[in-house]
Amino acid sequence: MRSLLLVLVPLLPLLAGLVTVFAGRRLGPRVHLPAAVGIGAAAIAALFLLFTAGGAAGTGHDTAAPVEHTVDLWRWATIDGALTPADGSAPRPLSLGVTLRLDPLTATLLVVITSIGLLVAVYSIGYMHDDPDQPRFFALVSMFVFSMAMLVASSSFLLVYVFWEAVGACSYLLIGFWYRRPEAARAAKKAFLVNRVGDFGLAIAVFLLWLTYGTLDFHDTRLADGTLVPGILGAARLADPTAIVGGAIGTAICLLLLLAACGKSAQVPLHVWLPDAMEGPTPASALIHAATMVTAGVYLVTRCAPLFVAAPGALAVVALVGATTALVAGLIGTVQTDLKRVLAYSTISQLGYMFAALGTGTLGGFTAGIFHLVTHACFKALLFLGAGSVMHAMGGVIDMRRFGGLWTVMPVTRATFLVGALALAGVPPFAGFFSKDEILAALHSRGWPDAHASGHHDESPAAATPPAVRVATWDRRAAPPTIPVASGSAASHRAVAVSASGGAAAAGPLDWLAGPRLYRTLFWMSLFTAGLTAFYTFRAVFMTFTGPLRLPPEAHGHGAHGHDDHGPSHGGHGGHAGHGAAGHEPAGGHRTAVSHESPPVMTRPLVILAVASFLAGVVLFIGHGLARFLAATPSLAAANVAATAVPPVFHWDLAIQGTLAAAIGIALAAIGHYGRRSDGPSVERFLGPLQTLFARRFYFDEVEHAAVVRPLEWLAAVAATVDRVVIDGLVRSVAHVPVALGGVVRRFQGGVLQRYSLAGVVGVLGMLVALAWNLWL
Amino acid sequence: MLAAAFPSLIHGALVVGAVLFVLGLVGILTRRNLIVMFLSAELMLQGISVSLVAWSRYHGDFGGHALVVFVLTVAACEAAVALVFVLQAFARTGRLDSAAWQSLRDTEVPRRIDRELPATDTVAPVWPRLTPSGVEPAHDDSAEPSREHV
Amino acid sequence: MTLPDGATPLLLGSVAAFAASLWLLLPSVQRAGWLERWSSRLGAALGVAALAGLALAGRRLGGLGEEAVFQIVAAVALVGGAATVVTRSPVYAAIWFALALAGVAGLLLVLGAQFLGVATIVVYAGAILVMFLFVLMLAQPTGLAPYDRVSNEPLLSAVAGGVLLALLTVSIGRLSAEPPACCQVPSRADAVAAAAVPARPADPAALDADAVARLGAELFGRHLVAVEAAGVLLLVALVGAIAVVSRGEAAESAERGAA
Repeated sequence: MRSLLLVLVPLLPLLAGLVTVFAGRRLGPRVHLPAAVGIGAAAIAALFLLFTAGGAAGTGHDTAAPVEHTVDLWRWATIDGALTPADGSAPRPLSLGVTLRLDPLTATLLVVITSIGLLVAVYSIGYMHDDPDQPRFFALVSMFVFSMAMLVASSSFLLVYVFWEAVGACSYLLIGFWYRRPEAARAAKKAFLVNRVGDFGLAIAVFLLWLTYGTLDFHDTRLADGTLVPGILGAARLADPTAIVGGAIGTAICLLLLLAACGKSAQVPLHVWLPDAMEGPTPASALIHAATMVTAGVYLVTRCAPLFVAAPGALAVVALVGATTALVAGLIGTVQTDLKRVLAYSTISQLGYMFAALGTGTLGGFTAGIFHLVTHACFKALLFLGAGSVMHAMGGVIDMRRFGGLWTVMPVTRATFLVGALALAGVPPFAGFFSKDEILAALHSRGWPDAHASGHHDESPAAATPPAVRVATWDRRAAPPTIPVASGSAASHRAVAVSASGGAAAAGPLDWLAGPRLYRTLFWMSLFTAGLTAFYTFRAVFMTFTGPLRLPPEAHGHGAHGHDDHGPSHGGHGGHAGHGAAGHEPAGGHRTAVSHESPPVMTRPLVILAVASFLAGVVLFIGHGLARFLAATPSLAAANVAATAVPPVFHWDLAIQGTLAAAIGIALAAIGHYGRRSDGPSVERFLGPLQTLFARRFYFDEVEHAAVVRPLEWLAAVAATVDRVVIDGLVRSVAHVPVALGGVVRRFQGGVLQRYSLAGVVGVLGMLVALAWNLWL
Repeated sequence: MLAAAFPSLIHGALVVGAVLFVLGLVGILTRRNLIVMFLSAELMLQGISVSLVAWSRYHGDFGGHALVVFVLTVAACEAAVALVFVLQAFARTGRLDSAAWQSLRDTEVPRRIDRELPATDTVAPVWPRLTPSGVEPAHDDSAEPSREHV
Repeated sequence: MTLPDGATPLLLGSVAAFAASLWLLLPSVQRAGWLERWSSRLGAALGVAALAGLALAGRRLGGLGEEAVFQIVAAVALVGGAATVVTRSPVYAAIWFALALAGVAGLLLVLGAQFLGVATIVVYAGAILVMFLFVLMLAQPTGLAPYDRVSNEPLLSAVAGGVLLALLTVSIGRLSAEPPACCQVPSRADAVAAAAVPARPADPAALDADAVARLGAELFGRHLVAVEAAGVLLLVALVGAIAVVSRGEAAESAERGAA
């Protein structure tokens, strides 16, 4: 049953996509049906899987037994004897196949992907109503959902790479959906090329993984002769922490994986494509660049948690990159005037938060990252769809300075947008508050380990033996090893195995980075960024919805056709974990003379997402349900990762700090923008020269253009010149030789007959002379 | 060493024949006037005739003589037909220049034109004119009122 | 390729002088100033030197026509031939050709070909040359035409002629000195001796009384078919000439009628 559902989740959107591709034109106005039905059915299947993927939950801070269910679909190729291990054991084959896996992490992400996908598909029915290219859009959305579902359900690094590229390709196609616009085409190209840099990292990482571990599968496999080949993240390897390779190789692999994640999840310095990706349709932005594709990097790092924990230097780099990205993107977002760009930079910033959480290397950090991923998917998709609703009503204008005071015009949108903004800013009790609090807690636990170890740990340190991996790091710094350790419960026999071996992990080259001082700095950066997030979010809210009502001229052309005959509005299926039917607000849509609210098919998903943003945080946080659910993932149940588990505690001091930062941010935004004209003097002018720096996006584009694009263009020009001048010139000169020879010979044919006879005479004379010479000499 | 495989007369005749042949050959190759070209061709034939006769004298029979008779015949026919063609060519181009016909040249080779020509005595000689007989020459009556003698 | 008595350098030297004289005498344009004035005199001098050299070489080789008659007649033929080729005026060339014909006829008579000598005068000088003069009368522009003052590649042609002449004279000289090892053609004299043709007189230099008869026997005996064919050839040439002329006239009248 589980296998069937697991196969159905990616298969149904694939079939929907194929049907739309081949029969889309014939479906006419019903072209959205295959996509909506397919993704909806996949969402239902994913929900079922969620309930079946839960493992036996432990008590207190016990980790659950890892849950893993694999479905081997198809073995494509097996190359025997591809790798000969150094320890002299039998040569390993390289086995390429399609295997899907089901574990809590996969289940969580599948639900997120399919639900958001469904809501976006429903929303697009209304948003793309007038677009003649609808079949292509729905086909692409279906293919994207398929690719992303396969990515998170894959059980092999090679398969992950394949679908990594596939989501990149779908993203390219969707960003450049309106390909006739040159900006869209350029943005799509930029996205693809920047992603390519990351993909290069992933490819090299896959090669190194193959060389290091002798297999590319996550799960354990058996050879034909019965020997067990431990998967990289399989049960056999994760039970023994020394089996994960650390040191220089491990750090290199993790840094390369981080590079791939940076490319896909838009971290510094590969973040430049995400703001430009706003050229695509807003539903596509909501799906891909808010909720799903950009979280592929987070998924990858979480999946490879054991590898990262074995290389603390790489972990520190992850956290550093994440927090820096959060701060930089937040600063840039404060001066943006395009609503979608604000949301884009906000996405980059929140992704940075997730990476900062993952970079702490604790179980709490990883689960906080995934928690934030889930909540962020909800409210960021909500914000994007809301922005799409605004754009739809404003006739395609999204520059905030050109409209204002939409509070009175769009009731549903304003309410849901406000909910999303509160969630993003981290105001309790909205979803963002809880997840952000978890992230801050994880950072705090690494920055002030004493506070966490002594204050919240009820385990006697005497019985705690530090896991082998940490010993190397902490010994160097001569600090007391006070790392919380898994308690000796019946299910944690792994801890015994951990303590038995000592110092088996090698020291990596970057391990000096991983220290409390770094994490302290990152904590303060993250706190400041939380305030920034609240500031720019509510700046956008106030500029859009408050102040005098101003509409751009393009908005007047809208509203001529009725909205009651839009396609049947799909009620909501599936919110998130455990939520059934959500409350529906009465469909808005009172028509004013000039502009109006969006049709119900667009507002109902907004409502559903708003409810989810409101409730998801509380629901997932109660009893630390999500954290414990995810702890059963094999990657997170690995010995070295599980060893960092702490009993989950709600940190009131961090919650207050976070809320205070958010409140200060909202207050500043209100001072600057509440009730004012959106194109009036802004508070940002007090930033002075900094405003230019932020507005120019820290000159990242210019630097990358000068450092990367220009040299490549120069190289290409050189190559083109060499090809044109040298190679073509060589070929052409070879072709000129007969012509030149002919030209020389041609001059002998002047048409003057006497010269011809002279030539004949000379020739005959030559022969005669030769004859005479031979005869008489 | 006088091996005398050749009597000296025959040797001399052969040399003369050779020289005549070469002279005719050079004339055909260089001169542009069609008539002079044909004259040179006839000169070549004369050289051939002399050589043939010398050889027949060496062999002591008349085979060479017979060949010379045929050469004569053919030369006559050739001259007749060729001169007809020369007249036709002259009618078409107005001059007896062998370089007037250059159509056989290749497409990119330019037509050969005489660039500089030596100065020539184009002054036509003035021949003295005699008064026609039976016509009284014009004389001036006023110039001589009386003549000393009749 | 050596000849006895050091005749080779003499021969080659005279041939070189011959070529140089031809080059100087041929009508040409591109000459330096002083060369222009002296070319004709220099050419003539070189030509005389060439003739003298040839004579001397011939004498070295085995006596070159000791008879004075032969030398005079040969000189006439050679001078006439050279003048034919180098004269600028085509009329003068025709006259010089007549002189050359006279010399050739004399040569033929000296060689004992009486009929041929007379036939040369009659047919060539009498008919063919007159035909040439008629054509010149019909087709000659007044004065010297520009194409009479220039020649095509005089240098290369003179050199080619010189090489050919050297080849011929040296080979004749060698044949005169000794017959080649290969190609030993048995002398016709031996074959003739075995034939039914009456033997030739002991002194071939003497004028044969029945040379003409013998020529006739040769022609109509052994080359009868060729003689008849020659007759047909003459007829064909006659008809062809008339046909070409009449066709040309018809075309001209058609043009004039259309114009």
